[in-house]
Amino acid sequence: MPPAPTTLSFNTHRARSYVVRLPLFTRAVLATIILFWILGLQTWWDVRQWGALIPSEISFATLYRMNTFPFIHLNIFHVIMNMLALTPLLERFEAEYGTLTTLALFFGLMGASIWVFLLLGMEAIRTYKTNPYFVLGTHNIPTWTTPILVLFCVSALVPSASFLGHLSGLIVGYVCGFGYVKYLAPPEKILRWIEGKLNLLGRLPHYVSVDQKTYGRFGVLPSTSSPVPPAVGLVQAPLESTPRSKRDNEEVAGLEETGALERRRHDGATTGALRLRRDPRIMKLPPYMSLLFVIVGVVWLLLLPFDQYSRRTYISENALLPGQVHTYFSGSDQNVLRAYKHEVNALVGKSNVQINDKLESILKGIGLKTARQNFTYHAAGHAISGQNLYAILQAPRGDATEAIVLVAAWENAKHEVNRNGIPLALTLLRYFKRWSLWSKDIILVITPDSIAGPQAWVDAYHDAHNPSQVAGLPLKSGALQGAIAIDYAQETRYDSVHIVYDGVNGQLPNLDLINSVVHIARGQMGIGVALQEMWRHTDSYQDRLSTMLRGMLKQGLGLASGPHSSFMPYHVDAVTLQPFGSGWHDEMAMGRVIEGTFRSLNNLLEHLHQSFFFYLLMSRDRFVSIGTYLPSAMLVAASFTIMAIALWVKSGQPEKEDGKESDDKDVSTAVVERDLFLPLGVVILCQSLSIIPLYLFNHASETFLTPSFLFFTLLSTLLPHALSFYLTSARNTPATAQHYHLLKSFSLLLLGMFLSSLATLNFSLSLIIGLLASPLTFLCYPAKTALGRALSMGLLHVLSPTTAVLLVGLAATQSGGLGGVLLEAAKAWHVSGTWTSLVVWCVWWPAWIVGGVVVLGRVGERKVKTL
Amino acid sequence: MRQPLSTLFLFFFSFLSLPLSLSLTTPDSDSQAPQDYIHAETDYQEQLHLRPLPRAALLASFSFRSNTTFSEFTSRNFRLFPRSLGQILSYANTRELHLRFNLGRWDAESWGSRPWNGAREGGTGVELWAWLVADSEAEAERKWVVLTNALSGLFCASLNFIDSTRTTRPVMSFRPEGNHNDVDPGKMHLLHGVLPHEVVCTENLTPFLKLLPCKGKAGIASLLDGHKLFDASWQSMAIDVRPICVGEDECVLQIEQTIDMVLDVDRAKRPRENPIPRPLPSHFLPCDTSKPYHSHDTCFPLDHTRNRDWSLTQVFGRPLKGACPLSNPSIPPICLHVPSSRKVFFAGVAAEQENERENIRCYHLSPEEEFNLVLPPPELPDADELDLVVPPTPPPLYAERSFTGYGQERGGVQALLHNPSKAEHVSFIYFETLPWFMRIYLHTLTARLIPNNSTTSPPKDIKVKESVDLIKKINYRPALDRARPSHLELHLTVPPLSTVQLTYTFDKTILRYTEYPPDANRGFDVPAAIITVLPDDSSDPSAPSPDSNLQPRYSLRTTTLLCSLPTPDFSMPYNVIIFTSTAIALAFGGVFNILVRRFVAADEGPVVGIAALKRRLMLRIGGLLKKLGVKA
Repeated sequence: MPPAPTTLSFNTHRARSYVVRLPLFTRAVLATIILFWILGLQTWWDVRQWGALIPSEISFATLYRMNTFPFIHLNIFHVIMNMLALTPLLERFEAEYGTLTTLALFFGLMGASIWVFLLLGMEAIRTYKTNPYFVLGTHNIPTWTTPILVLFCVSALVPSASFLGHLSGLIVGYVCGFGYVKYLAPPEKILRWIEGKLNLLGRLPHYVSVDQKTYGRFGVLPSTSSPVPPAVGLVQAPLESTPRSKRDNEEVAGLEETGALERRRHDGATTGALRLRRDPRIMKLPPYMSLLFVIVGVVWLLLLPFDQYSRRTYISENALLPGQVHTYFSGSDQNVLRAYKHEVNALVGKSNVQINDKLESILKGIGLKTARQNFTYHAAGHAISGQNLYAILQAPRGDATEAIVLVAAWENAKHEVNRNGIPLALTLLRYFKRWSLWSKDIILVITPDSIAGPQAWVDAYHDAHNPSQVAGLPLKSGALQGAIAIDYAQETRYDSVHIVYDGVNGQLPNLDLINSVVHIARGQMGIGVALQEMWRHTDSYQDRLSTMLRGMLKQGLGLASGPHSSFMPYHVDAVTLQPFGSGWHDEMAMGRVIEGTFRSLNNLLEHLHQSFFFYLLMSRDRFVSIGTYLPSAMLVAASFTIMAIALWVKSGQPEKEDGKESDDKDVSTAVVERDLFLPLGVVILCQSLSIIPLYLFNHASETFLTPSFLFFTLLSTLLPHALSFYLTSARNTPATAQHYHLLKSFSLLLLGMFLSSLATLNFSLSLIIGLLASPLTFLCYPAKTALGRALSMGLLHVLSPTTAVLLVGLAATQSGGLGGVLLEAAKAWHVSGTWTSLVVWCVWWPAWIVGGVVVLGRVGERKVKTL
Repeated sequence: MRQPLSTLFLFFFSFLSLPLSLSLTTPDSDSQAPQDYIHAETDYQEQLHLRPLPRAALLASFSFRSNTTFSEFTSRNFRLFPRSLGQILSYANTRELHLRFNLGRWDAESWGSRPWNGAREGGTGVELWAWLVADSEAEAERKWVVLTNALSGLFCASLNFIDSTRTTRPVMSFRPEGNHNDVDPGKMHLLHGVLPHEVVCTENLTPFLKLLPCKGKAGIASLLDGHKLFDASWQSMAIDVRPICVGEDECVLQIEQTIDMVLDVDRAKRPRENPIPRPLPSHFLPCDTSKPYHSHDTCFPLDHTRNRDWSLTQVFGRPLKGACPLSNPSIPPICLHVPSSRKVFFAGVAAEQENERENIRCYHLSPEEEFNLVLPPPELPDADELDLVVPPTPPPLYAERSFTGYGQERGGVQALLHNPSKAEHVSFIYFETLPWFMRIYLHTLTARLIPNNSTTSPPKDIKVKESVDLIKKINYRPALDRARPSHLELHLTVPPLSTVQLTYTFDKTILRYTEYPPDANRGFDVPAAIITVLPDDSSDPSAPSPDSNLQPRYSLRTTTLLCSLPTPDFSMPYNVIIFTSTAIALAFGGVFNILVRRFVAADEGPVVGIAALKRRLMLRIGGLLKKLGVKA
């Protein structure tokens, strides 16, 4: 469809007139759609079930469905989109054919998004007859193809859009447009008769009479298919006005205006884009668009827990077959487990090496190959050292090409001894040794802690370790296909299993692995499953939302949450299983869950690849995939880019002097040379300064961490003031408004760029930083008054990276306050390679500093050179 | 049937001119000298060596060997030599053939040296190498294709997939085992191919047994049951065909078939009807009663005390149906390697022959009687493991190979080669066939001497700076994309009590869409590296002397590796195809419509509608009526 004339320049008066002049049938349709949507809100009567076009439900008694289905929509977006699309088209149709014809046609026939495509098809054919091609470069593109493009766009972009329904609507529209089914329309004679009898024209407001029909506002169809010369438009105007009734003056005026616009369109076809660019109103739009994007991004996120937007989980990889095998881990194996538990309990409190000596002797007794690995990490003046012990159960008939890992850390993330987990792992390995069906080696890794030990082991397994910190592995097996960690410190019986799945830097295991565990634990063993420490999950909106938000927060922080986290960067899918609650399940049930999971992983022919790697879980059986949630972070990131582009354009326009309204034409043509040196210099300076906090907080020793952070906070608070002082007062030529625009533009451009690329890697981190930094878009105009400056700067200080870290420190009283948080961050940087601190200090902080400078900036008095 | 067979048997014996050597050829003896191959020119012998290994494992080595004279072979007079194989060999001009089927891995640390010093085993999957007589390389390749295809049909294995991308021509690693003095050495072509992903199973065993004179119905082959064989922790089936000559013109063609397997006694003893390893009833569980917490429901298991007793029928699932009547009666069919202190019982008619010095007991069987061998549990229940088995001899070299790095763009290979010997240098050939999609960088190939953690320091004369000299010789033939694999042969020396780390890096290639096999996300198997330990006195391995005395001392294979390549999402192309086809179909419909249709303005064209239709109909009817009227 060619752009409707009204989009060229929007006018509230015209819009109002347009709405007021909507013909009767169009109004009725819109009202019905809204009515049905409101009806659909209540719960006791399923409107969709009642009125939707369900082929199997169609019978003579339910023929009403043929007419009601267009009014019934899936959700509010569907309603709004369809109404927006339908109104202009239906209005045109009705204006052309009259209310009665429209009524008759549309209620023997069909209807709303279907109607849209039908009408679009007709419009397109009509446009095609007047204006067969639009020119794109050197290509002539027939205009009738546009609805097809729209159709594809809609079916590609809108989930659950009925492609077939729309397509058939479109086809019927084409057919109508070419006039093949004209005979379906009721004969005018009858219509006139009905009109005359009922005096509809007199009784109904906004009624379009048969005589009143405009026969297409573009007048008589031309007989050639060559591009319409501009003169035709001029000729059309008088032609148009002839059949029009004199009843509605407003309408006449409106239509004349349309005709005039049409002429203008033809006149300025080549200059349309230029005029749009010159329009001063367009420069007012970006802040609102930017705000809209942020709001839509947040609302989008809040909508995700609804049933319409999230999906039920399902097993994608057929080979997994979770819960399809009998598990035999029971009977006298429990006697062995008890004995191993005695052995492990006797080891509590002993040194790492003593523990490993004893465990190694047990593992050797089982008949496994064992080896050890020493590691020492240095972070914040701390040495994190220990010794990993691992044992390989060589698959009896396997060829050492693949392996599955069972991890049991001696201490879990809360520093509780894994009293049940270690004996269980030992007993399981002894039990697994008896089976000959393993196609993959099974590796048991016993690490002294939950973060550094597994990290050292996985790094060394893939030879990605730093040999000065981590020793290599003397014994290896094949490619790792999956890992399960047991964190079973609870002494009593349990009723549910908590699945921890967050990896370092927000990486997630394949959803199939989580689904398999859920399937086995719940479906086969009858053990409850919880995620994200949601001990009680009622599957309500609130619970789903808080599960999702907790998951996002963990993902955003990017810290290792358990022994499984270190495996994710190497594309090894892993989860930690933690029994919790009090119930009647014992260790053997936990063993059977792991046995079942291992049997499933053993079935795999290929590496886990079928299911999702990017998802947000709402509950154990609902998730949203990346396609659904990504727009939210992307919109927030795009809000920065839009403003950056707008500011760039603005910086190129000459400043208006107050009081004097310069001529529109002059302003739009004038171009100002941009002085890039100063803004680029400041942005680059801030970006390079960001190395300092990154280095400082990752390399200072623990005792200096808190003081240095406080000192840095002070400096960081003063830095915008100092820079701003330099820019405004200390230089010979103070910075101009253009400088500030460019400064902000560059800074926001960088921020938008970083965040949108980060969104594909770590969605949550990108969204969190994006939301925290979003005031930078709106606040940071050089304020005119000192009070405005002070207020904006105060708000900026509240939302600064340093304040955020400080607040997290205050909140995290459990892990040692601010010092503890900084220590954890430094450890995460050195051990797991978390790059959250990189994003905070090298993406957010420089943007914040530049924002501060812009807020404090005062425009100097310098004449800008006008070209 | 028995009568003619025994007459045939006697007939053979009357023909024997050489006295039969009574020395036992055990799989572990390194006497691979050619004299041993010639016990008799036209005989058949079979032997099973049972060797209990530590950790309740049992190594069973079956060997079947038969000879046929060249004259008989060329006149197609097949008696003991299998006709099916013989025809293939003569058709493909194959002088010497070695075919290996392998499954599992040999645990050198617990089990020691490999049986036959590794000469009768291949890498995981199927391995084939043969010397063909051909005038040119191209002809040799044609013959090779014929050979692989024929063997593929004979052994129900995918040997036909050994194409040029999997075939190499090793220079240093292999020596002919037979005598080829009668052939021009320039016309002898050695070709070698491996299928690492081939899963060996019962369908390969059946044709293997059919090649035997007694077909698995009698003799030691009657013990071979697919269920037990393929449940073994490691198993290798080998076929070797080679010409052996004594003197100038006394030549025989020898076929030797061997099956070696390591049975897990615990698994093997499980009844076939109930193979599930359910937990033992608690009163059968051997417990450490000395533990303070020991009670009726708490038991620290003593697993190593279990499964030290077994009987032949138990572990093989079927009895031994007497000796094969065609076999040489002077060779004892069964030998058991246990310390002479251990008690061994046997059931059936047999003559025991004990060699206490070598801890070997051999049994001569009668062809009629079933035979069973029983190893009772040791008298002391917690006797030391090493007293119950003949201690395994350590191998001359340990090798382990693994991938380094991660990601789908590049990777590295690291091989750790450890020489356990205290005094001797070990010199060997390291041979790798790498698929073409692993593009190795030869300049990254380094051999590094890793300092040993053991207290005994390596001899003074070896310094780290000499580590560059560890590689004596490199033979490298780069890969051609989609045509041939990389071929890397290295001559290395490892000093005593030290480990050499061999590393190199490679790039991974993106394959074409159709080149991915099914289950492409599994990864691609990289064949095992073949390590051939050279005899001490060999100076230059690259010049293969016709004197076959220089047979390798030992050979071993590393495990195969799984190389993951960047793999596309295979559902995506289909989605795209479906989507574009729909779009094209729609666009085509529209364009076609426009091309063939003439457009006229609404007022120019004929009026479409009910009225027009009616008029046309009326005209038709009128015409018809007129016609009828005229007719009438």
